[in-house]
Amino acid sequence: MMHKAVIIDDERLARNELKKLLADFSQVEVIGEAANADEGIEIIESLNPDLIFLDIQMPGKTGFDLLTELEKAPHVIFTTAYDEFALKAFEVNALDYLMKPVEPKRLADALHKLQMAEEKELAAAMSGSNRGMLNENDQIFVKDGERCWFVKLGEVRLFESVGNYAKVYFGPNKPLILKSLNALEDRLDERIFFRANRKHIVNMRMIEKVEPYFNGGLILDLKAGEKIEVSRRQAVKFKEMMSL
Amino acid sequence: MLKRISRYWWFQIVGWSLNLGISVFFITTFGEPTSIFFLSLFLSCLLGVLITHIMRYNIQKLKVLDKPVKKQLLFLILLTFVFAVFFGILTEAMDYLIDYNPERMQKYSKLQRLFFSSFNAMWLLLVWNMIYYIYHYVERNRKQELDTFRLEAMVKSLELKTIKSHINPHFIFNALNSIRALVDENPQRARRAITELSNILRSSMQAEKMETVPLQQELDIVKDYLALEHMRFEERLKIEMDIDEDTLSQPIPPMMLQTLVENAIKHGISKRINGGVIRIISDFRDNHHELIVQNTGSLNGRLAHNPDGFGLKSTQDRLNLLYQGKAVFHINDIAGEMVESKIIMPLPSI
Repeated sequence: MMHKAVIIDDERLARNELKKLLADFSQVEVIGEAANADEGIEIIESLNPDLIFLDIQMPGKTGFDLLTELEKAPHVIFTTAYDEFALKAFEVNALDYLMKPVEPKRLADALHKLQMAEEKELAAAMSGSNRGMLNENDQIFVKDGERCWFVKLGEVRLFESVGNYAKVYFGPNKPLILKSLNALEDRLDERIFFRANRKHIVNMRMIEKVEPYFNGGLILDLKAGEKIEVSRRQAVKFKEMMSL
Repeated sequence: MLKRISRYWWFQIVGWSLNLGISVFFITTFGEPTSIFFLSLFLSCLLGVLITHIMRYNIQKLKVLDKPVKKQLLFLILLTFVFAVFFGILTEAMDYLIDYNPERMQKYSKLQRLFFSSFNAMWLLLVWNMIYYIYHYVERNRKQELDTFRLEAMVKSLELKTIKSHINPHFIFNALNSIRALVDENPQRARRAITELSNILRSSMQAEKMETVPLQQELDIVKDYLALEHMRFEERLKIEMDIDEDTLSQPIPPMMLQTLVENAIKHGISKRINGGVIRIISDFRDNHHELIVQNTGSLNGRLAHNPDGFGLKSTQDRLNLLYQGKAVFHINDIAGEMVESKIIMPLPSI
């Protein structure tokens, strides 16, 4: 499978060096490059690459900042020179990264890992989901202080509205992302993500129990213990979906 | 060691002479001494030297001074008592030998006289022991203070070394990455870059060995460093130098200017999409040597958030250590959207 890749790094020589290395890998085609985060966002949105090589320390915004601004994170391989702060973020979350100067063997490993992940996704995608929407295999990039994660949407059990932000519940973590609940609802697959009320979107697969509530509402018990109230209007919709 | 022994004997001689002098003074003022009395007094002082010397030998043998304070006190009393009796017996025996038998003592029995002698000797030995212990107590404290001071000095010099040898690894790996890219693109430049990088690494290692280096030498390193950064940042980095030729021989702490320039790049140029200027100025002003690094950017209260960002605090610490507070370092925003860091060093006295 051919990968369309972009390189985002503020140093021309670093970009050239990576392009030169990638020339040996026929499965990757570099379709664009950018010298800072803002240019990076532009080319990602216009070229829609499926892989980005991303430097972390750049003028203006960092590579992490860039990712948090994307609606849906493509596959990312970080490239960095020695950088303790960034390394810590990687160690915690096992994101893939390459150290500059890049060792060709490490680059081959990273691309191989990517291939594996993609095949898995492809198989999952075949099992059916409507195009254009974010499906549960899509990942979002989440940064909370010093920690960063790529989260598969399928692993998220709950989105909670907090002002202009949304709190993302997955595993033991609940960091904030700068996205409104309405914007999220528009992009999420409604067969999996259900808008329970004004403040919550729930992952249907994470519901353990449904209990009736007064005034025709419902209470959803999530596997992790959260209890979410479903408004009367949405309860009707919920029951409809369930009866299908 | 020789000096210590002689000091001990010096104390002994002065002490017993003083005792002798005071006794002579009192007896000549208040009584009529006979020549045999003087002989007895003199001999008893000699005995005193002998006995206290034996006592000291025992103190050392028993390692009394290394024991806890309570035990030291117990030993002090015990030794004083034992040696006082010993002293008393010897004085009485000596008086008997030289046939000194003053009238006022004749009415007492031998045992009573022995008791008086011992009692007298006890006071003498008590004073002697006091002086001995106090002297050693003070000496020990002084030595301990000296040791602490030495330790502090060692820690300081170690700190200085770690500060000096600091070269940002991020810089090294980025430079190596640029060089690899240049190997095909511009082999001549790549070769020069390798020389520049090795110059920097070499001088950062050598910096540990020296307190100061001539500005010229430091400037060579900084130029190599800036050449490498220019290779990375290309047209985003502009370099300006304004160096007074006469300052080139001035001694400065090694790798200090380098650290400031590194900071200027890290926090100034590399944070700006369009880059900026780094300006280095060296001049004499008001009998001081001023070393200035300016860069495009602003502090943005960054100093208040993080006042001991590595380069800055260590720079001030190093200056304090080297110039005992006579050198100044400060960093602040200046006109034209620039940040200026400035070192003011006193001129070395000739």
